[in-house]
Amino acid sequence: MVENKKALYDAMVAYKVPGIQAAVEDARKAGMSPTEIIDALGDGMAEVGVLFERGKLFLPHVLSAAAGMKSAMEVLGPEMLKAGTKTENKVSVVMGTVEGDVHDIGKSICSTMLQCGGFDVHDLGRDVPKQDFINEVKGGCKMCGMSALMTTTMVIEKDVIQMLKDAKLRDSTIVMIGGAPATQAWCDKIGADIYGETASETTRKAKEINTR
Amino acid sequence: MSEIYTRMGDGSRVVTTRSKVIDDLNLGSADAADMGVIKALSSDLIEQLADIICDKNRVVGVEPGHEVVLTYDIGQLDFTGDNGNSGNGIDMGRLEAALLHERAMGADTFELAHADYSIKPVKPVISNEMQTMEEIQNEIVAPFFYGAMPNMGLYYKPDGPYGNPADLMREFKIEEAMDQAEKASEHMARDIEFVSTRIMSAGSDGFNFDTTGSAGDADVVGTFKGVEKLRKACPDADILLGMAGECVMGIHGSIEYDGKVVAGLFPHQQVKLAEKAGADVFGPVVNTNTGKSLAWNLGRAVTFVRECGKVAKIPIHVNMGMGVGGIPMCETAPIDAVTRCSKAMVEVAGVDGV
Repeated sequence: MVENKKALYDAMVAYKVPGIQAAVEDARKAGMSPTEIIDALGDGMAEVGVLFERGKLFLPHVLSAAAGMKSAMEVLGPEMLKAGTKTENKVSVVMGTVEGDVHDIGKSICSTMLQCGGFDVHDLGRDVPKQDFINEVKGGCKMCGMSALMTTTMVIEKDVIQMLKDAKLRDSTIVMIGGAPATQAWCDKIGADIYGETASETTRKAKEINTR
Repeated sequence: MSEIYTRMGDGSRVVTTRSKVIDDLNLGSADAADMGVIKALSSDLIEQLADIICDKNRVVGVEPGHEVVLTYDIGQLDFTGDNGNSGNGIDMGRLEAALLHERAMGADTFELAHADYSIKPVKPVISNEMQTMEEIQNEIVAPFFYGAMPNMGLYYKPDGPYGNPADLMREFKIEEAMDQAEKASEHMARDIEFVSTRIMSAGSDGFNFDTTGSAGDADVVGTFKGVEKLRKACPDADILLGMAGECVMGIHGSIEYDGKVVAGLFPHQQVKLAEKAGADVFGPVVNTNTGKSLAWNLGRAVTFVRECGKVAKIPIHVNMGMGVGGIPMCETAPIDAVTRCSKAMVEVAGVDGV
């Protein structure tokens, strides 16, 4: 079992979909439960995030690992349902690069990491109109993540927070911000809840705030 | 303990102490050493950097006789640009800008640049650029280059013919994204040859490839291949190759140059491939972290650039400006930070030019 756990972890870090699928199949044959398999894959995915931050792995590798995770979930999800394993209700997050800004690679990485971290991510892409964030929150998203790469567009984050206040949704929404010009000071200044310097830091903070 | 006025990476003014400056220099250097798998700065060098940062004067400089080559990029745009990220909104012609840089701003070399500052948009106006190059060469004394960013992003949809990896990867079409990046890279190398050889035939002293790798690893490979073509066609061209960031982004992830995966290379590794491609001067870049102090950023930048200079066989002209080389990322880089970082790069990192 320990060997299978390590094999799952290693396969995820190696980020190749066929390798991940093979490791999952071996683990199932060895009698590992779906939950144990997912946990081991999740540990591997966390390491992928660390290697990504250190410039050792890159976006295609992260996405390939995420595709492997998705493929594993297609097999393990129905098994969990069959076995009656309780699945947690996923927290919904709306993610987007604010209007006027088309830089969305960092935001996309963050969305992928949040997905792998167990969140239900509604990624609206780039140049997202302010109202679209509000609509998603009204539609049930508990968290609102905004990214901006430019000092000229980061101010939109402040506008969206004000719009949440106006719609009386601010208190029930966790607001996350990120992007090159953002800092913790900017986060505090505009009254956001989470500043994430990296995708994995954002995911970690999002998990922490939801377990409080 | 006396207070030291310094900056954060976003340009904000903060008060600190010398011991905190030394702590941050060590932490920044350790971060570079960890990321790049290189040696951190010795305590002597950290003390030297601390002296520079803690200098009571607003503006600092190197000792007479230790000056290095000063090169400006982006052509006339640092005067004429008015979009908030470069320039002062002062309208002038390209000849006037070139002569002002040479005769008033102390530039040792300068360059001609198109308003878009990218290889691709120059193609349809190459004849105009050649004519302007010739006209300015008749007036200027300093070596005068042509400058442009390879900017492979312009080859992807919606600006170009190839599928955009950012869109394709979002749909998990990873192999297709890699294929499109490779095709865009080859296309850009052909365009570099077209633009650079023609501008050389108009009398340019050389070519400055600015912000290489802005679209990731395939952008770097395309530029190296373009440099190879230019070197072959114009053996005497002076080729400057400056980078976009400290670590080559792996948008492709596996593309190679000279048998080496390019993604994830740091300055001391990048320079070896630039030499191989045929560059005469390499411009390393180290990015600024806006949430960290000037000391942290400078300690980190100097560690990377010093290592790059150690292994390089060609001169190193470090990129110094908004958000690079330890300088804060803000619209008008503060002079106290700019001069401190520049002095540190010359005296501690040992660069040949700025």
